Amino acid sequence: MKWLTTLRDARPTTSRALGITLLTLLALLITFRLSALDDAKLASGAAIAIVVVGLSWLIGWSGQVSLGNSGFMAVGAYVTAIWANHHATTPIFVTLLLATGCGALSGLVLALPSTRLRGPYLAGMTLAFSFAVVPLALNFPSVTGASSGLTLNFLNAPSWFAGLFTGPQATVNANAQWSADVAIVVAAVAFFFMANLFHSRTGRAMRLIRDNDVAAELTGVNLPRTRTLAFVISAAYAGLGGSLLTLLNGSVTPQTYSIALSILLLTLMVLGGIGTLSGAVLGGLIYSYSDNLVSLVNKVTGVNPASTFGANLKGIVFGALLILTMLLAPRGLVGLGSQLVRLFAQLRNRT
Amino acid sequence: MIRVERLSVVYGAVRALTDVSFGAPAGRITAVLGANGAGKTTLLRTISGLVKPTSGAIFCDETSLLGLATENIARLGIGHVPEGRGVIAEFTVEENLRLGILASRANVSEGLARQFALFPVLGERRKQYASTLSGGERQMLAMARALIAKPSVLLLDEPSLGLAPQVTAEMMRTISELCASENLTVVLVEQNAKSALRIAHDAVVLHLGTVIASGSASEVADNSDLRRYYLGLVTP
Amino acid sequence: MSTLLTSRIMTDVFGGITSGAVIALVALCLVIVWKSTNVLNFAQGAMGMFATFVGMNLVFHDTNYWLCLVLSVATGLVVGGLTERVLIRPLYGKPEINPIVVMVGFLGLLEALVPAIWASSFNTVPSPFSQVYFQSHGNTVLLSPFVLYQIALALGVMLVVALLFQYTTLGLKMRAAALAPEVSRLLGVRVNRLLTLGWMLSSGIGALAGVIVSTGHTLDATNLDGIFVSAFIAAAVGGLESPLGAVIGGLLIGLAQQFILNYWSANLAPLAGVIVLLISLAIKPQGIFTRTVTRRV
Ligand SMILES: Nc1ncnc2c1ncn2[C@@H]1O[C@H](COP(=O)(O)OP(=O)(O)OP(=O)(O)O)[C@@H](O)[C@H]1O
Ligand SMILES: [Mg+2]
Repeated sequence: MKWLTTLRDARPTTSRALGITLLTLLALLITFRLSALDDAKLASGAAIAIVVVGLSWLIGWSGQVSLGNSGFMAVGAYVTAIWANHHATTPIFVTLLLATGCGALSGLVLALPSTRLRGPYLAGMTLAFSFAVVPLALNFPSVTGASSGLTLNFLNAPSWFAGLFTGPQATVNANAQWSADVAIVVAAVAFFFMANLFHSRTGRAMRLIRDNDVAAELTGVNLPRTRTLAFVISAAYAGLGGSLLTLLNGSVTPQTYSIALSILLLTLMVLGGIGTLSGAVLGGLIYSYSDNLVSLVNKVTGVNPASTFGANLKGIVFGALLILTMLLAPRGLVGLGSQLVRLFAQLRNRT
Repeated sequence: MIRVERLSVVYGAVRALTDVSFGAPAGRITAVLGANGAGKTTLLRTISGLVKPTSGAIFCDETSLLGLATENIARLGIGHVPEGRGVIAEFTVEENLRLGILASRANVSEGLARQFALFPVLGERRKQYASTLSGGERQMLAMARALIAKPSVLLLDEPSLGLAPQVTAEMMRTISELCASENLTVVLVEQNAKSALRIAHDAVVLHLGTVIASGSASEVADNSDLRRYYLGLVTP
Repeated sequence: MSTLLTSRIMTDVFGGITSGAVIALVALCLVIVWKSTNVLNFAQGAMGMFATFVGMNLVFHDTNYWLCLVLSVATGLVVGGLTERVLIRPLYGKPEINPIVVMVGFLGLLEALVPAIWASSFNTVPSPFSQVYFQSHGNTVLLSPFVLYQIALALGVMLVVALLFQYTTLGLKMRAAALAPEVSRLLGVRVNRLLTLGWMLSSGIGALAGVIVSTGHTLDATNLDGIFVSAFIAAAVGGLESPLGAVIGGLLIGLAQQFILNYWSANLAPLAGVIVLLISLAIKPQGIFTRTVTRRV
C-alpha cells in the first residue's frame, strides 16, 4: 500500500497524469475486445468528447454560452482536409496541432468583438457564426469542394500494428482499432491539459468571473482578457476535435457542421454534466452510442424506424432530453451520480 | 387596520425578523423605527407578500394576508410605497399614475384630477418623464400613485429619505392630513425618528429584528433610553 | 417615375423590403420576449413554423387560406403561452444559461417534430393574391399584389403592436411589468399573466411571420431559420431592448441581403446579417449591446 500514499502525496499534476494514463491504458485494452464498428463509434465519440470538454470549460467555468463551436470544428476540419491533400506525408500529430492552432485563431478573431457580450448576446453572435459555415463553404467551391466537400486518405495502421492482426478481416480490424487508439490517445492528452487548466489560476479566475464578474474585476482579474482566453481555448479544442473527426472519417462536408451540430454539442455537454471532465467523457459515449439509444427508444415506443416519425426520432429524443435535463437535473448524469452516491451514504449511515 | 402576530422571517442564515407583533389601527399613523438593518423594510415587504415569512400571521381587518400573492394584497386596498420610491423612470408622470389606478375600479380622470389637486406640481409635470423629476417630486409621485387607487392602508418605507428638512416636514403634514381625512391606516417606516414621531400616534421600535418597545408616540419619544440608544436622538 | 420604379435600384429596394419586413417582424417578437422575461427565445422561428404547419397544412386539404391563417396564429398564441408556463417559468431566477439551453433544446425538438408529424411534402402554399408582377411601360416592377400583401401584413402587425404598447392600458401594464415587475405587483398588476401574454403575443406574431414566408413557397420546418438568425442580429444591433431599433435593423438586413444577392453572390446572401453585425461592431467597437443587463425575474 506504500504506492498509494506515494500517489496521494505526489504533486497534483503528476497524480492527474497517472490517473489519466491508467484510464487511457484501460480504454486501449478495451479496444482490443471491440468489433471494427464499435471501434469506429468509440473513435468518433473520442473526437466529439474533446469538443464537448472545450465547450464544458467555456460554459461551465467561464459562464459564456457558445453556439459557434460547430463553426470552429469546421475550421479544424477544413484545414485538416486541405493540408492533408497537399502534404500527404505530414505526421498526424502535426496536422492535429495545425488544426488546433487554426481553431484557436478563428476563436480569437470571433472573441475580440464578442467576449464583451454577455449571455444571450454572445450565444446569438456565435449562432450567427456557425450559421455562416455552410454559405461560406458553398461560396468558395475551389477551396472547399462546395456541398460535396473534400476527401482525404483514411488513417491506416502502421505495419507493426497491423501485424498484430490475423484472419480474413485483418486489415479492416487493424485500421479501425488503430483509428480508435489514436483518437483515445489524442483525447487523453486533451483531457490531461484540461484537467490541469481546471485547477490552474486561470481556472479559478474563470469560476470567479462566472459567479460574480464585478467582484472578480475588483480582485484584479482582467475580465476581457480572461474571457477571451476561455473562448480561444474552447475554440482550439473544437478545432482539434473537428480535425480528428475529419481524419477518422476521411472526408469533410459543410452540412456536417451546421447549427444542428452546435445544438448536439450543447446537448451532450448538458446530459453528461456541465463543467466536468467525466461529463464530457459521458457526452462522447452518448454520441458514440446515440444510434443504439434511439433504436432502444424505437423498440420501447414501438415507433417504426422507417416511418417519417422514426426518421426524426433522434432529434426529438435529444431535444426532449436536453429540456428535461435542464429543468429536472441541471447537473446532468454526473450530478445525478453524485446525488445517488450521497443517497446511498445516507442510507448506510442510518442503518 | 393591520395586525401582525409573532412574525418571523429568515433570509438563508440571516434572521431578519423574530416574533414581531404589533397592530396599526385605522385613522392613525403607526411609526416603525429602528436603525439600519433593523428589519423595517423586511416587515413591510412581508406584509405585501414580497417576502414569505417562516411563521406568524398578518391580518388586514379580518382577512389573513398570509399566502396571498402581492398583486392580490394590493388589490385589497393596501398601498405600498417601497424603499427608494419605485417610480418608473421610463414612464411619464401621468403613465405612472395611470398604472396605479388600473387595478382598482376607480375612475381614471377623476383619480388624476384628485391627485393633481393634492400635488399641483405633478399636474404641471404630467407629460414629463419621471426620470426628470427631483427627489421630492418623485416622492410625491410615488405617494400619489399609491393614493390614486383609494387604498385603506398605506405602507410607507422611508418617505423622507434624501429630502430636505422643509420638504420632509411638508410631506409629513400631507401624510397626517390624509390619514385623518380618509381614515387611512398608515404604517410609516422611518430612520428619521424625530420627524416621524412628530406626526405619529403610535410607535414600534425594532432592533435586530425584534420589537424592543411599542406604545403611543409620546411614550416612546419620552423614553430617554430609547431615544439615546435606539433612535439616535440626543435628549435636550 | 416609371423608369424609377423599374430601375435596378428600386427593384432591389422592393425585394429588400419584402424580406426585411419579415425579419423585422421576428426581431420584434424577440424584443417583446426579451423585454418582458429577459430570455432570448432561440426557438422563436421553430415555434412560428410549428404553428404555421398546424394551420397552413390544412390548405392542402381544401381549407380556406384565411381560416388556415387564423388557425396558425391561434396555435401560435397557445404554444407561446404554454412555453412560458411550462418551460420558462420554472427557470426565473436561475442562471441565465438555463433558459438559453432549454430554448435551444426546444428548437431542436420542434425542428425534428415538425417533419416527423408532417412528412415534408414540398407542396407550395397557394397565394390568395396574384403573384404576377406589375408592369410599367413594358418593364417589370418587382411588386405584385402578393408582395404587397406580404409587406402590408408585416408592417400592419408592427403598427398594431406599436399602438398596443403605446396607447392601451394593456400595453401600459405590459411595459410596466417588463420594466419594474416588483413595483407593478405592488400596484396590483398581475405580472405573471402579462409575462405569459407577452410570450403568447410574440409567438402569435411569429406564427404570422411563418405564414407570410410560407405563402407562395414550400411549407418547410426550416423556413424561418435564416430569418431567425438575421432577426436576432437586427434586434441585437438595435439594442435588444428597442422595438423600433429591431424593426429598422430588420429592414436594413433585408435590404443588405437583396443587394448582396444581386451584386455579389447568392450563396453569401444569408450572411447579410453577419455583415451588418460586423459593420455595426466596427462603428461602435465597444459593442452596441454592452449595456449591462440584469435578469429581472
Ligand atoms: N434579500 C435579502 N437577502 C438576505 N438578507 C437580507 C435581504 N434583505 C434584507 N436582508 C437582511 O435583513 C436584515 C434587515 O434588512 P432590512 O432591509 O429589512 O432593514 P431595514 O431596517 O429596512 O434597514 P434600512 O434602514 O437600512 O433600510 C439586514 O441584516 C439585511 O442585510
Ligand atoms: Mg429599509
